[in-house]
Amino acid sequence: MLTARKRTKRTVAVIAAALAASLVMAGCGDGGDEAGDGKSLKLWHYEAPNSAMGIAWKQAIEEFKKSHPGVTVKVEEKGFEQIQKTASMVLNSGDAPDLMEYNKGNATTGLLSKQGLLTDLTPEVTKRGWDKPLSPGVRTTSRYDAQGVMGSGNWYGIPNYAEYTMVFYNKALFDKHHIEVPATFAEFTAALEAFRDKGVTPLASAGAEYPAHQYVYQLALSKADRSWVDAYEQYQGKPDFHDAAWTYGATTFADWVKKGYIAKSSSGAKAEDAGAAFIAGKYPMFFSGSWWFGRFTSEMKDQWGTFPFPGSQLTLGSGGNLWVVPKGAKNKELAYDFIDITMKKGIQNTLGNNGGVPVAADTSAITDPKSKALIKDFTAYADGDGLAFYPDWPVPGFYDVLVSETQKLITGSAGPDAYLDALKKAYDAGAPKG
Amino acid sequence: MNAPRGPGNALRRPGNALSRHHAPARYPVLAALIVAAALMVLPFLVVALNAVKSPADYSANGPLSLPEGIHLDGLRDFWQRVDFGRKLFNSALISGSVAVLAALLSVLNAYAIGIGRVRGRPWVLAFFVLANMLPQEALVYPVYYLSKQVGLYDTRLSVIIVFTVIQSAFGTYLLSSVLGAFPKEVIEAARIDGATKWQVLWRVVVPVSRPTIGVLLVFFFIWTWNEFLLPLVMLISNDNQTVSVALGVLQGQRLMDATMTNAAALLGVLPAFCFFLIFQRTLTRGIAMGAVK
Repeated sequence: MLTARKRTKRTVAVIAAALAASLVMAGCGDGGDEAGDGKSLKLWHYEAPNSAMGIAWKQAIEEFKKSHPGVTVKVEEKGFEQIQKTASMVLNSGDAPDLMEYNKGNATTGLLSKQGLLTDLTPEVTKRGWDKPLSPGVRTTSRYDAQGVMGSGNWYGIPNYAEYTMVFYNKALFDKHHIEVPATFAEFTAALEAFRDKGVTPLASAGAEYPAHQYVYQLALSKADRSWVDAYEQYQGKPDFHDAAWTYGATTFADWVKKGYIAKSSSGAKAEDAGAAFIAGKYPMFFSGSWWFGRFTSEMKDQWGTFPFPGSQLTLGSGGNLWVVPKGAKNKELAYDFIDITMKKGIQNTLGNNGGVPVAADTSAITDPKSKALIKDFTAYADGDGLAFYPDWPVPGFYDVLVSETQKLITGSAGPDAYLDALKKAYDAGAPKG
Repeated sequence: MNAPRGPGNALRRPGNALSRHHAPARYPVLAALIVAAALMVLPFLVVALNAVKSPADYSANGPLSLPEGIHLDGLRDFWQRVDFGRKLFNSALISGSVAVLAALLSVLNAYAIGIGRVRGRPWVLAFFVLANMLPQEALVYPVYYLSKQVGLYDTRLSVIIVFTVIQSAFGTYLLSSVLGAFPKEVIEAARIDGATKWQVLWRVVVPVSRPTIGVLLVFFFIWTWNEFLLPLVMLISNDNQTVSVALGVLQGQRLMDATMTNAAALLGVLPAFCFFLIFQRTLTRGIAMGAVK
């Protein structure tokens, strides 16, 4: 009994000591208060290290260290979800970073700017000329008005890269079935039909996520112009969901499903499934965004290429994610210097050579032919003011409506008319009045 | 069934009539258990399979195929990318402290409620159950503001305090009902021998209910280890993050790295799994104790 009691006592003492030690360790090490002495730059982003942005920014950090000796750079790679969930809380505390990657859009950067949590970058933009290389379509997502609506007002973020959609195609499958890579819309539909006749579903799609409704929107865009986009995306005029463009988009998409160009079974597929199936060579074509480029480069065994969606002046796309400077940042000057470095040709070229779409690259410095085509096609869209953003942008929660309604269009449980009615209803309910 | 008679059969001789009577019923049960066990293990197997695939292999052959070769880069890259050793330490520190502190707090509370029989006991217990049922989403903002006020935002200590309270709410509830059935004679005997209340707690009540407290410790550890939302919100700098938050780094905006996610999931599950294996006997003993009572 005595020994047992002694042992218990000793155990309690050990546990108590361990606890005390752990509490001391847990308490310290928060270290969030490096004052604004211009000696450290705290930078957060959420790009994978092997992505185009990850590689380019690593180089930018090296250059920054060279041009700012004595400054420590504290880079933290975050999860996308963590930044989305906690941004407003972090920026409201004393632990805000000096520079942060953040999502563009009304619900994200727009909201933070409206809450006064971001630094107005307009003076720096004019001083350092960051706006010069950016085309109007790319600029849209950098500027937010007092209501947090993008398109006008002050600059709150600077994008290093852009994104847009195109057709990815599998060269090996085109060769195997002796089908020419199409250049016009007529050739494109002919190719779809030829693949279908050989028993191959020509287009990869995914009804449970963005790919399906991006087909619909792209088809509508091929019959639309800039003012149509402005009406829909920036509330300049009232969009008509039963006009020629929308009707064409919805009916053509439904028609393609009926003809077997897009598999009916894709209604429940995720974007990841569609991309993986394209990589595995199950589909000859996949219409989606430049964000797939790096992954296809590293993982696809078959030869592949890209071409712009035929017969359309407009395509989905915008500036990429933004560098934002929190209001509570302690070393804003250093943050500006860093943004400046990322906009220089060297970093921009690295972005371009690793599968990104740089906003200010020197095309002659891009060596990979596929990347060259990617950037050339983007420049064509940008110069022609052809970036039409994404269909889910105008209204909060519209993404889910688009996904579920497009699923109905794929399965055939709703016709094109009912589909457009449903979109109109959700749009009218959510768009700002006036 | 004329199976060859092995030594096992010979041993069971005395109860032969009985076992023959039960035998037909046993096999379906055994089969059902094997199926259930396989279903439980299957997700782990899929994770382990994909953790050792190369991304190209995964894209080409899908998640359910056997790997073409062992590809450990995913595991290694993830370990280095998030400084996994540090996250392990953080998680162990937080979960360990919470387990010990919450168990301690539960014992003290339950002693007052279960044996001390304080007034308004049912109400106090109901309050603890309520606190236990509160969704954590509701706690995010209050906890954020409070911890900012006292300067504990982005410290591991803040998470330890919050989870100690949350876990001990459940612990108090459970332990109170266990101690409520504690044999009174034992306590009275101790009091007659001149033990103070404090001595009764540490020398009589705690040693007797040690198995139950052991179960609480293990559960608190594993539950805290798997917590995601509050650590995500409270531990913003990478140096303070826990394992489950570090796994979130891989979920990109539009793309996911399936093989690395699997590698990370494997690394994230393994410690809790090992912990469970080590303390599995404590668990069964504790739960069996409760059943006998």
